[in-house]
Amino acid sequence: MANKSKKATDPSASSRPAGAPQPTATSERRYTIQDYRLEKPCFTLKQVQEGDRVLYRCEGDLSGPPPPLRDSQFLSPAELIEIYRWMLLNRRMEMALENLYKQGMVVGGVYFGLGQEACSCASAYALEDDDWIGPMIRNQGALLVRGFAARDIMMQYMAKASSPTQGRDASSHMGDHLRRNVVAPISTLGDLIPVLSGVALGARLQGRNVAAMTYIGDGGQSTGVTYEGINFAAVETLGLVLIVENNLWGYSTPADMQFRVQDLAERAIGYGIPGVIVDGTDACQVYDAAHEACARARRGQGPTLIEAKMMRMKGHAIHDAAAYVPEPLLEYWRKRDPILRLERYLLGRRWLTEEENERLIADVERQLEVDRDFAVAAPMPEPESAAGGVYCEGCHEVKPRYGVPQMSVTKSVLTTALRQVVVERK
Amino acid sequence: MPQLTYLEAIRQGIWEEMERDRTVFCLGEDIGVYGGAFKVTDGFIDHFGAERVIDTPIAEAAIVGAAFGASLTGMRPVAEFQFMDFIGCAFNQIVNMVAKAHYRWSAPAPLVLRGPSGGNVHGGPFHSQNPEAWFVHAPGLKVVCPASPYDAKGLMKASIRDNNPVIFFEHKYLYRRIKEEVPSDEYLVPLGRARLARPGRDLSIITYAAMVYVALEAADLLAREGIDIEVLDLRTLAPLDREAIVRTVKRTNKVLLVHEDVRTGGIAGEISAIINEEAFEDLDGPVLRVTAQDSPVPFSPPQEDYFLPKVSDVVREARRLKAY
Repeated sequence: MANKSKKATDPSASSRPAGAPQPTATSERRYTIQDYRLEKPCFTLKQVQEGDRVLYRCEGDLSGPPPPLRDSQFLSPAELIEIYRWMLLNRRMEMALENLYKQGMVVGGVYFGLGQEACSCASAYALEDDDWIGPMIRNQGALLVRGFAARDIMMQYMAKASSPTQGRDASSHMGDHLRRNVVAPISTLGDLIPVLSGVALGARLQGRNVAAMTYIGDGGQSTGVTYEGINFAAVETLGLVLIVENNLWGYSTPADMQFRVQDLAERAIGYGIPGVIVDGTDACQVYDAAHEACARARRGQGPTLIEAKMMRMKGHAIHDAAAYVPEPLLEYWRKRDPILRLERYLLGRRWLTEEENERLIADVERQLEVDRDFAVAAPMPEPESAAGGVYCEGCHEVKPRYGVPQMSVTKSVLTTALRQVVVERK
Repeated sequence: MPQLTYLEAIRQGIWEEMERDRTVFCLGEDIGVYGGAFKVTDGFIDHFGAERVIDTPIAEAAIVGAAFGASLTGMRPVAEFQFMDFIGCAFNQIVNMVAKAHYRWSAPAPLVLRGPSGGNVHGGPFHSQNPEAWFVHAPGLKVVCPASPYDAKGLMKASIRDNNPVIFFEHKYLYRRIKEEVPSDEYLVPLGRARLARPGRDLSIITYAAMVYVALEAADLLAREGIDIEVLDLRTLAPLDREAIVRTVKRTNKVLLVHEDVRTGGIAGEISAIINEEAFEDLDGPVLRVTAQDSPVPFSPPQEDYFLPKVSDVVREARRLKAY
């Protein structure tokens, strides 16, 4: 204990042997975040008191012109046009839903992905048939890409008998575990993350690595299950592709009040997985990042976190006028409209002529009209159809999707084989 | 027939299903190399491999979520809660994600969430609870609470083969204290059927899990007084065997409900309502309850003893009801 008392009396004293190298400053570790963006918006949202009101003020430089789209390393012109079409369908379907709401035909609210169409559509477009997706409330575009029709989503909003959930759930809350590989979301946030991790686990046990994509917002990422789900995927090296949609608002609370890191992609460092930043209004960037993350997942190399930066251009839902959003911020992001920019890009490259573009838009409109008429005419469910279906009572056969899991431990096979021999001898 | 403890029976049930069906796998905290806090999965990782016996991070919501996700691809996961007290951490996943899946979007969720529950082992407020009633109140879930080794094994095998989410409450007090002969040939115990643990004429005790033994002991004591007690072991709380409940009421006309769970909102209240609705005319007395008091499970042995329903409580209430 002599040493200790010496320290106590003389704090500068050291027990280090004379001549040993003096410790330098603490060592430094560096981590990289891959940033695809061509523009790095710099602003903050603060809660401030103005007179007798508390409101949000945006501080920073919002004067810059919108950047060009980044050329995709992977997409052909035809594929990019297909993504553009999905984005158009996404937006115009939501416009149709807004009109249906105003006509009193929607039950409950309408949720919009306005300004986020590139993120929803281009990410889902990176999936292959055997991959999976768990969309969130603003990812109706992803549902379309994954094979749900606009009429399905419309009927779901109108609570019709032939909606994907037969009237039992609303909005984007639809799934299909047999054909489209879509996990139906629930309203609480982050809960899809462990579920999609589990999908990847299930597939891997059957000898397949698939990409399992889901989304979380800047608000939703605050939940505990978000941490649990990503960490589980990281530890188990599961093919989770998590798109963190930083749209600046969690209902009415700005992103600056949800976390203290500069970019949510930095969270990836804490999980020990790759983190990527993309401009969520640039379909090419979203696609390229998602494409690489999915390929990584299919190679069995584990999860990727992609932060897509953008802005929710409407309120939380149709009832929310979003008066709390500072106007300069809306103006800034209007100039970065994902569809407008992609349209200009395609026309500028002459990958799409004006006539082809007009035809494409007219085609989308025509399709939506057919779907809207179909959905409006569809009957409401019979009251009694609320009963039943709580349990699976032989209505589904559960079988491995990718093939019967193979045993990696021969012992188990041996035991079974030995038993069979014994039975046969009997 | 070999003698098996309650724990060995559960273990054998899972083992046999893993041998039989390659889509069955286990996940949970410390279940692999360590074999689980109570050693239910001891040796599983050596036999079945680390792919099928997964040691997870301490993350109950992730365990349930991942089990559900895997089940969507056609797997049959068996997830362990180290203690059923910790199931609260995964409550949202269970009641909102998993339980509603089939009703909302026709997705079967063939998963088993299992683990030790119950008191009388001086585990204190967070290692002794009986949270089964929380899940009986969430449509879409099945809730299993076996009392005997035979039932534990047969119900475990049936639960794993079920296409619905099953919450399997193992009573930790019974793990190594109860032993009985269990057939080595394969058998299943169907979910939703009660078991007549003891036939009788004067009064029915309806109960489950560890309280079955308290009820049987009370019945033995009361038999000396000439009171003939029938004991109905529910075995599963969801689905509940309403026919068996009504049958026993019609036979004895007097009912005592016993559970280790706390009183208010426990399954006894629901059973009492069923009896009111379906067998009121057959009653010759009020439906009485013996339950734990409405408090957290206290730690100190004298306090826990006070908290838990005892043989003497059952005897006292049975006498009162018999005299009614």
